[in-house]
Amino acid sequence: MNELFSRFGVLSDTLAATPILAISLTLGAFFAGNWLFARIGRPLWLPPVLLSACLLATVIAVLALDYQAYHQGARWLTVLLGPATVALGIPLYQQMHHIRAMWRPIVVTLPIAATMAAVYAVVIGWALGARPQVLASLAPKSVTAPIAIGITEQLGGSVPLMMGGLLITGVVATLFVDLLARYLPVRDERIVGFALGLNGHAIGTARAFEISHTAGAFASLGMGLTGVFTALILPLVFRL
Amino acid sequence: MSMLRGFLVLVLFFILGESVRVLLALPVSGGVLGMVVITFTLMVKGSVSDDLASASQGLISVLVLLIMPGVVGVFFTADQFSGQWLAVAAALLVGTFLSVLTTLALMKLVTVRGERHRE
Repeated sequence: MNELFSRFGVLSDTLAATPILAISLTLGAFFAGNWLFARIGRPLWLPPVLLSACLLATVIAVLALDYQAYHQGARWLTVLLGPATVALGIPLYQQMHHIRAMWRPIVVTLPIAATMAAVYAVVIGWALGARPQVLASLAPKSVTAPIAIGITEQLGGSVPLMMGGLLITGVVATLFVDLLARYLPVRDERIVGFALGLNGHAIGTARAFEISHTAGAFASLGMGLTGVFTALILPLVFRL
Repeated sequence: MSMLRGFLVLVLFFILGESVRVLLALPVSGGVLGMVVITFTLMVKGSVSDDLASASQGLISVLVLLIMPGVVGVFFTADQFSGQWLAVAAALLVGTFLSVLTTLALMKLVTVRGERHRE
């Protein structure tokens, strides 16, 4: 009996040594989260990404897995984020006629909204006494992860703190866009999509593709433009 | 097979984007550069192949899956916020609320005005 138990220990070590465990846990949580989301009536305040992430975090904690080891294994999935970002260019091209028709609102809104996304966070954080290092980590909160890492390093912030802020921002931006679009009201899915991508980066964009192809294309556009614009402007502004 | 062919195109554009980023020392990610380049390439070419369209649709539909390992990190890096919880939480929640409101209101205002202008 004891021997069997010790073999269980060997088994878990063997599985944890390959990326297969991390991949199967992530896939399992992804499907379980989506299933649960459909079962509880698709509530707006609890998007599938948050649901799946909570399930996954619980499993990792219960199995006492090392998060760093999990993250290393899951790189087999996260490395696909690069090509997936490139893939966003295809709906962008397919929806180009919609984007051409909206170029004026986009050109007017983007610089103001992308700047304010950073300014609101920094001013509120500063007013409540956050340290400069924390402020530098909060500033790129609406920027897609690969770009935000570069910005934070340039500003002298902490990357893990920034990643945390980024993910929380993505989830709450998705909630606030759904909520505010209902109360303002904004029914134009091009505007909703653009707001999702601009404020909620990849998480908002994933949500926008659930709404429609057009919303997704506008979210990709908003995410890409915000990333590029913020990367260029923020290091200049922060120096002042 | 066809989806893999499309995937190869995406990976090649990603490598192109990464190369541009590293060689020109740009602060923008290779993925976003690749996205910009592939969009312009398609605009010049004037059409998108079925292979590429199906590969991109496949990847986009699992975007949530790809960001999940990072999202889970929030639960395990939370202690780094310690002592500044209120400032961080308020900046993220209130700040995001305000920036979403700004985006939607501004966009709606400019769009409506533009449409009135045209009439």
